[in-house]
Amino acid sequence: MLEILSPRLLADLFVNGLLFGAMYGVAAIGLSLIFGTMRIIFLAQGAMIVLAGYAAYWAFQLLGVDPYLTMVALIPLSLAVGAAIYQLLFRRAAALEDKNTSLLIAVGLMFMLESLMSLAWTPDPRSITTGYTATGFEVAGVRLSVTRTAGFAIAILATLGVTLFLRKTLVGKAVRAVSENMDAAALVGIAPHRVNMIAFAVGIALAGVAGCTLASTYAIDPYFGFLFSLKALIALALGGLGNVGGALAGGLALGVIESGASFFLPGWADAVAYLVFLLVLMFRPEGLFVRSVKKA
Amino acid sequence: MAHGSRAGLVAAAAVLLLALAGAPLIPGALDSYLLFFLFLVFVHTVLAQSWNLVAGYTGQISLAQHAFFGIGGYTTAIVATTVLEGGDFYFNPLAMLAAGLVAALFAVAIGVPLLSRLAGDYFALGTLGFGEIVRVVLVKGGALTGGSFGISMPPDAFDTLAPHYWVGLALAVAATAAVYGVARSRPGLALMAIREDPLAAAASGVNVLRFKVLAFALGAFLAGLAGSLYAFYVFSVSPAGFLNLNWTLYPILMCVMGGSGTVLGPVIGAFLMTAVFSAANVWLPSAHPVLSGAMIIVVMIFMPNGILRMRAARTGRPVRWRWAAKQAARDAD
Repeated sequence: MLEILSPRLLADLFVNGLLFGAMYGVAAIGLSLIFGTMRIIFLAQGAMIVLAGYAAYWAFQLLGVDPYLTMVALIPLSLAVGAAIYQLLFRRAAALEDKNTSLLIAVGLMFMLESLMSLAWTPDPRSITTGYTATGFEVAGVRLSVTRTAGFAIAILATLGVTLFLRKTLVGKAVRAVSENMDAAALVGIAPHRVNMIAFAVGIALAGVAGCTLASTYAIDPYFGFLFSLKALIALALGGLGNVGGALAGGLALGVIESGASFFLPGWADAVAYLVFLLVLMFRPEGLFVRSVKKA
Repeated sequence: MAHGSRAGLVAAAAVLLLALAGAPLIPGALDSYLLFFLFLVFVHTVLAQSWNLVAGYTGQISLAQHAFFGIGGYTTAIVATTVLEGGDFYFNPLAMLAAGLVAALFAVAIGVPLLSRLAGDYFALGTLGFGEIVRVVLVKGGALTGGSFGISMPPDAFDTLAPHYWVGLALAVAATAAVYGVARSRPGLALMAIREDPLAAAASGVNVLRFKVLAFALGAFLAGLAGSLYAFYVFSVSPAGFLNLNWTLYPILMCVMGGSGTVLGPVIGAFLMTAVFSAANVWLPSAHPVLSGAMIIVVMIFMPNGILRMRAARTGRPVRWRWAAKQAARDAD
């Protein structure tokens, strides 16, 4: 195997891992916002991503709308869907101390979405094939596909957007306050339900972004979401729970780990990813990219 | 509870058990869907009790029960096709015991590092990761585990459901009795103390790690037995059939719906949820998972504490945000 190991191959593995990891990163940021405020592990995030992917797919197939253009409409739509999901499904559960309830609601939602999508659109994998899907360009000897690079750029933009939202806006500060200490936030007059709803809406909007970019690059099927949720959770743990930049970094790291593992240990990539996940949970529960050693 | 009503309850349970045990003897009963349905209820009850011990009584949310179920199923199949090859493997007590023990061994091996370092959501995520690793190992296990195809056991020695049914009933009763016994024992008291407040339990001299691992291993043992029971029924084990996350999610649902941390809650939950799933499977096969998903959501929103609301006072308490804010406003005046 060693004779085919060229720097070029390693660069290819690294870059492609990075590009795919950006998808995990976006999903992880959504999970991180929802977990940060409500301590809910929203397992249905992957199913929401796939749903958004299907929306982009059908917009392209039936109406001929470019998937990146669809995103413009999909972001406000998924904001609204996220707010609705919170109000309808999680409002009561979020106030309970027992987090099983909200975990199970997320699981129920995932089941429903998966099987509804499978009933409506068959379990066959689908992908969007535009005129530029197969095109690419070369940077320093590494071939980059246009759609993967676009997905990466969008992931960076989404991370910047969420970071600015959390740092610069009053609502964003309220979200951070609730993540730090919900009781104290309530005491200074922040309405937890509103903040939760906003965090949920932004989280689902990120699922919309991830879905659009994912479907324009990779094939999706109705049951792909669960695995994606798990990977996003790993990315989240690598980056440290409740840390936006860390979530993206965790996603990128996971992408590189998987890409390397699937080449060197074919078939074991998932096990390697979960092993890294377990080790990080045990030895650095605050995440790999957090400098201050705050007990998580 | 008054003494008289308790005796009545025991008598009613005894009558119900006798009726259940005698059901396969009714002519024609073995061909009915009802007995298969009850068999599924038994499998689910054992699994639900396994989760109940870990999460309901000890407060550690495990998302790895499907892994222990799968380990139990695979152990049974491996023992049946290698050690007991050609011999009397069918419902061999040793094969079933081995299934439970191997699952429990894995639980100790993974439980000591996980439970000594992780609690709460982190422990739940860790167990989920463990389950995924088990899946990959089984798929890549070569000749021993049969890859993604799995292992087929020799054809059914008995061509009736009756032995499956009776063994299932016995295991369901044994699992429930085990939970009852643990809940009323000194170790059970330690488990509940850990659930309520690990720090206070440790301060009172409870070896928190040892009892957490004990509960985790006991739960894994029961899940392994359930896997063995199911393996003897389907006669072939595969990653898709046994390492399915449903084997973790359904028991959780059943426990929470019936009331986790109670002895009979998981039994009631297993019965009701299996009824819903089976009904959906018979009448709306294609929409079955949709209905299951909707059912989970409805139950969780409207009955988050389960039917036996014994833990309502502890877990059902809403966080009083509004009250806290008002109080703060009053204090500020």
